Amino acid sequence: MRTTRRYVGSGTALALATCLALAACGGSSGSEGADGEITLLTPIFEGSTGKAVLEGELIPQFEKENPGITVNVDYTDYGSLNEKLTTSIASGLVPDVMMMGVGWIEGFADKGVLADLGDYDLSESSLSETMNEQVLQAGEWDGKLYAVPTMLDTRYGIARKDLLAEAGFDSPPSTWEELRDYAKALTKRDAKGKLTQAGLDVMTLDPRQMFEVFLFSNGGTLFNEDGTAPAFNSPEGVEALQYVVDLVRKDKVEDIGYSSSDADTYPVINGRAAMMVGHNDYWVKAQASNPEVAEQLVPFMIHGTQDAMFQGGTLVTVANSSPNKDAAVALLEFLTDADASLAANEQRGNVPALEDLLASDYVTSNTAVQFAMENLDNAHPEGGVPAWLEIRGDFEAAIQAALLGQKTPQEALDGLAASAQEAMDR
Amino acid sequence: MTSTTGTTTTARQDAAARTLPVPPRASKNTQSRRTRRTGWLMLAPALLHTVIWIAIPVAATVVLSFTDYSVFDRPQWIGLANYTEIWNDEVFRKATLNTVIYTFFTVPFSMGIAVVIAVFLHTKLRGRSIYRAAFFLPQVTATVAIAMVWLWMYNPQYGIVNAFLSFIGVPGKAWLADPSFALGAVIVVGIWQGIGLKMLIYLAALQNMDESLYEAASIDGASPVQQFFRITLPLLKPATFFVFVVSVIAAFQVFDLVYVLTDGGPANATTMMTYEVYRSAFQNFRMGMACAQSVVLFMFLIVLTVINRRLTGGDET
Repeated sequence: MRTTRRYVGSGTALALATCLALAACGGSSGSEGADGEITLLTPIFEGSTGKAVLEGELIPQFEKENPGITVNVDYTDYGSLNEKLTTSIASGLVPDVMMMGVGWIEGFADKGVLADLGDYDLSESSLSETMNEQVLQAGEWDGKLYAVPTMLDTRYGIARKDLLAEAGFDSPPSTWEELRDYAKALTKRDAKGKLTQAGLDVMTLDPRQMFEVFLFSNGGTLFNEDGTAPAFNSPEGVEALQYVVDLVRKDKVEDIGYSSSDADTYPVINGRAAMMVGHNDYWVKAQASNPEVAEQLVPFMIHGTQDAMFQGGTLVTVANSSPNKDAAVALLEFLTDADASLAANEQRGNVPALEDLLASDYVTSNTAVQFAMENLDNAHPEGGVPAWLEIRGDFEAAIQAALLGQKTPQEALDGLAASAQEAMDR
Repeated sequence: MTSTTGTTTTARQDAAARTLPVPPRASKNTQSRRTRRTGWLMLAPALLHTVIWIAIPVAATVVLSFTDYSVFDRPQWIGLANYTEIWNDEVFRKATLNTVIYTFFTVPFSMGIAVVIAVFLHTKLRGRSIYRAAFFLPQVTATVAIAMVWLWMYNPQYGIVNAFLSFIGVPGKAWLADPSFALGAVIVVGIWQGIGLKMLIYLAALQNMDESLYEAASIDGASPVQQFFRITLPLLKPATFFVFVVSVIAAFQVFDLVYVLTDGGPANATTMMTYEVYRSAFQNFRMGMACAQSVVLFMFLIVLTVINRRLTGGDET
């Protein structure tokens, strides 16, 4: 109850602050005259390198451009982001600016935690001149814009050219059928049957994201069009999971436990896999550990009935309860502009959301990022319903149960859909 | 006059003498009040700590367990709905079973190993301080660091466990990815990590034992094994009760080990009650459900502690 009163109290403060802010700037956009102390919660820029970029370069630049605004940074990572957000909301101390992942926005916007950026002249139509519409979708909920992307994480196919050539293939597979044939041909085991080279590594990527790549490439979606029911257990979804299960259990292109999402080095980099479904940061990882191999890595689109890649990313939001919304919006605009976005993406080897950056030196020198940017029309973000954060956590066990043969793909996805429906109806 | 004055003075003195015992009685009451006040003052930090950090949160947890509370909205009273859902929740049932299995194996095994090590380290062993420190080291090392080391040891490709098995001609396993082995692998780490503290408590208990009992037993011809079972173990009963209760509570609260090693997987094979509480609270934003799951966990611990007290006779020798 104390929390509730505080919540109401902060709501009143918010209303007052909003009135004052509107009175001060006449309801228009911009950071003109914005001042005060604001807090930024970020799950990226972690570690000493990230901190050096954010607090050594970006924040001083922002504070120089916006005298009167002071930014305090609260670091976390994606694993602990929900804990930070939950405790901050419960205590009524919500950071003014919050960076969140794709799939987070719907839930927090639906609960009124995030500010409608339309009040600050930021909308899909204004941003679509600089960003891909598919990418902007991740920041929208119920027809309003609540978040602006600053970086994208994409997942697609990655192949080793040299290992493909050894097996007689001159280009990466272009269909599911080819992918299976290639994977079988590229799988190597020693005399005792121990796997020495996986034909296709599907274990390094998070199981949910891996499944989503195949789901989207088979024309499936996570939810129905009006967002009232799960759709990942549709025939397309079941077929997608069956395809992956068959690759592992029938074709044995990779063994259970051969790799995991904890793996420090991607199997395609150290030659333990010929192909993988992986993250676009493979390029910077390969450059750091084995630059010669980096030249052998070639990205490709997974194609079932359509080309598709999974798209996550980091978006910048403003708290609805922020007493310094103008200053917070100013920081949002700064963090999503070309310079800051480029610095953040370079630090993590990620994909900028701004289309103009396709021509930047960073993008043109990074094969993985360039490929992702050139294929953003085929990008599919996850999420889409407010209950997504609750649903997403159950995917891993369901996908693993299917891969381990404990359940059929249909059983695994139906069970998952039932619990997802309960969460959506709650 | 003089005599009158003298009489008066004497009478006053007598009166004064008669009133003399009164002040000490008043002073005793004051002192008693002061003692009580001092007692309360000295108790205050512990009392405040208990009320603020234990009593209120426990009461709040119990109350919130009957609500639908997501931190975004006001708690809504839903009666026993959370408990009904827990009862029908396949994953929480699995987590409860896993927790019981984990406790069933880690507590007795680590206690058994700890008592044997403590007895050995109680003897005049050369360099025993080094051994004591070595056995206690896992207790003071961050669980995350321990889990990271075991993660590497269990690695199917590069891990030392499979390397050893390969050396003796046994095929390696995907220890943490295969549901047949994952819980066992976590239990082994739990046993290893739990030995240090238990050993220390047993060692302290051994150091307080009367040596003359052993001397008498030796004179009567009792072998070291007989002395261990007839003297050492019975005298360790109070320590055993304490170690058991603390170990059961710690085992039921296992979280970070699972979080780092397996993330509850594969396919919920290693998920625990605390892990489900964490998921409900911080992944699903269902604080009411997390509170209900915590209450269930609390009830398990209460029941187990009472059973243990009945079976072992508590901390009495």
